[in-house]
Amino acid sequence: MNILTNLKTIASRSPWLYRINAGSCNGCDVELATTALIPRWDVERLGCQYCGSPRHADIVLITGPLTRHVRDAALRLYEEIPDPKVTVAVGVCPISGGIFRESYATCAPIDQYFPVDVNIPGCPPRPQAILDGVAKAIAIWRERL
Amino acid sequence: MNVLTLFARNLLRGPVTDPYPFGPTVTQKRFRGRIEFDAASCEGCKLCERVCPSGAIKFSKDPNGLAFDCWHATCVFCGTCAFYCPTGSIRQTNDWSLAHVAADKYRMVEHGLIPNQTCVECGATTLDTAPMQSGVKPPLTAEDVATLRPLCPKCRAKFMKNRKAKK
Repeated sequence: MNILTNLKTIASRSPWLYRINAGSCNGCDVELATTALIPRWDVERLGCQYCGSPRHADIVLITGPLTRHVRDAALRLYEEIPDPKVTVAVGVCPISGGIFRESYATCAPIDQYFPVDVNIPGCPPRPQAILDGVAKAIAIWRERL
Repeated sequence: MNVLTLFARNLLRGPVTDPYPFGPTVTQKRFRGRIEFDAASCEGCKLCERVCPSGAIKFSKDPNGLAFDCWHATCVFCGTCAFYCPTGSIRQTNDWSLAHVAADKYRMVEHGLIPNQTCVECGATTLDTAPMQSGVKPPLTAEDVATLRPLCPKCRAKFMKNRKAKK
């Protein structure tokens, strides 16, 4: 038992990333794909990987200003992600609304609905900035484990 | 043949992966990133506040003068403010490292203050803005700028009128 607990603290666990598109223009999604799929910005060097199911996720990346139409679906999806989870807002839209601020069709900023931990501003953010943010999110996630 | 050349090139050049979180990275010189404000050269025309599509730029009255604030968390780096700025006091840097923890959200602000001054002619309290230079014929000399700078708008207008009459 003692060895097992020791192993748990020694072995660094790898978080899985999950992406929620909350009404994004796809600019940030393209940048997220760039950080994951192109060998030049390899997010898997940080030990994390994109996954397709919210039930496997540890770090949630939310893009888009959370449009009214997608709000309930996004909240439902977010509920399915097991704790402990770290929420990252990618792009200016989820952080403040960006150019959609104070629009009747969007519910930005998203921190009214989700407990956001890390913000990555940019329209879209540069892949290096996303790597920066993911590194910060991993540090927070390690503390929460 | 093509595959073989690629293979040879890759062998020689090594991996293309950018070493960023663990090493240095490349940023283009003209990359449009975080904006930077220089209060000393600002005319105070507030054109940037008017053209900003995301409402990131805000001028507000302050007991010490006129405060300029640009919130990086809503700025979309379009560069419209830098394009329209008549004096070039707003500049876009190529700095993209803006990722922050959520607690710092409202601290991501570029702040500048145009201070108050007392007009040397009439003694009124005015803003220490740079004199308006665009569209002035003949162009202002360095001496003109130096005399105009400590004046209030009314005294500046008087100076310009006299200057026009002299020519």
